[in-house]
Amino acid sequence: MHIPDGFLTPEICILMYIISVVILVLSWKKVKAIYSRSFVPLIAVSSAFVFAAQMLNFPIIYGTSGHLVGGTFLSVLLGPYAAILSMTTVLLMQAVFFTDGGLLTFGANVFNMAIIGALSFYIIKLFNSEATSQRRFLTSVFAASWLSVVLGALACAMQIGVSPMFASAGGVFVTVPSMLFWHVIIGTGEAVITTALISQLYRVHPAVLSGLTILRGEM
Amino acid sequence: MKGYVKSVILILVGLAVLIPFASTFPDGLEKVAEHLEVEEPEQVWTGLMPEYALPGIGNPYMATFLSGFIGMFLVLAVSWIVGRTVTHKR
Repeated sequence: MHIPDGFLTPEICILMYIISVVILVLSWKKVKAIYSRSFVPLIAVSSAFVFAAQMLNFPIIYGTSGHLVGGTFLSVLLGPYAAILSMTTVLLMQAVFFTDGGLLTFGANVFNMAIIGALSFYIIKLFNSEATSQRRFLTSVFAASWLSVVLGALACAMQIGVSPMFASAGGVFVTVPSMLFWHVIIGTGEAVITTALISQLYRVHPAVLSGLTILRGEM
Repeated sequence: MKGYVKSVILILVGLAVLIPFASTFPDGLEKVAEHLEVEEPEQVWTGLMPEYALPGIGNPYMATFLSGFIGMFLVLAVSWIVGRTVTHKR
């Protein structure tokens, strides 16, 4: 879902940069107010994990592949604000060193993957506000990770759909359904992997799920 | 701290084992562009390890693994610095 340079108009690039930078500054302030030094290793290792996981594409159907984005995973581990900073770091390294996602489109990629990914925290929160069970928690993780990929793809489809390159092919009326078609499937992969990872961590080392602590309002 | 070192080693082992199984098919967005006959334009910045391959390494497995190895440590280092800057003492 990493948009390369050239796929977006300058206006969309600028708009997405402004939105993303505003949210990044807010996240930065929130993290600064809440998080202590003891979180640094967890933030660093989970970012490194997400980077590695994003390299591993899994095939879906008709010669197409997808990979874990990891937005929901980071949200549950770190809470939404630190998850945005962590994912942005991953995306920045990918754009600068690997040409995976452009530099002009970086604002859009941060919005589609880091910011929308962090929204899944609030979906999980919504479903676990009162008495919750592990089953309910994991079901909401599954739903939120699927939705984060589908919504990210929808945002991406609208951004590329208004650029002239895609306008001649039908614009948003074509890009939205085709992006959704693939990402409904890729999102299922995201949901399966994320739920498996979180349930294993929950079992082996529940203390690292600090997003969960934030979720319960204990932090 | 020890747990985190262990996690980093686990990530590298996982990467080493899974790289040969990673799909090289285009991803969702690339497939949409391909289908609509939209060519990916010339990139303004081509990066240092395009396509996750360390330049100058003949073996494709090693080129990918080494670029992943370097990338992972870059992410680790930069997010560590971000983490240090953004958290408060205590």
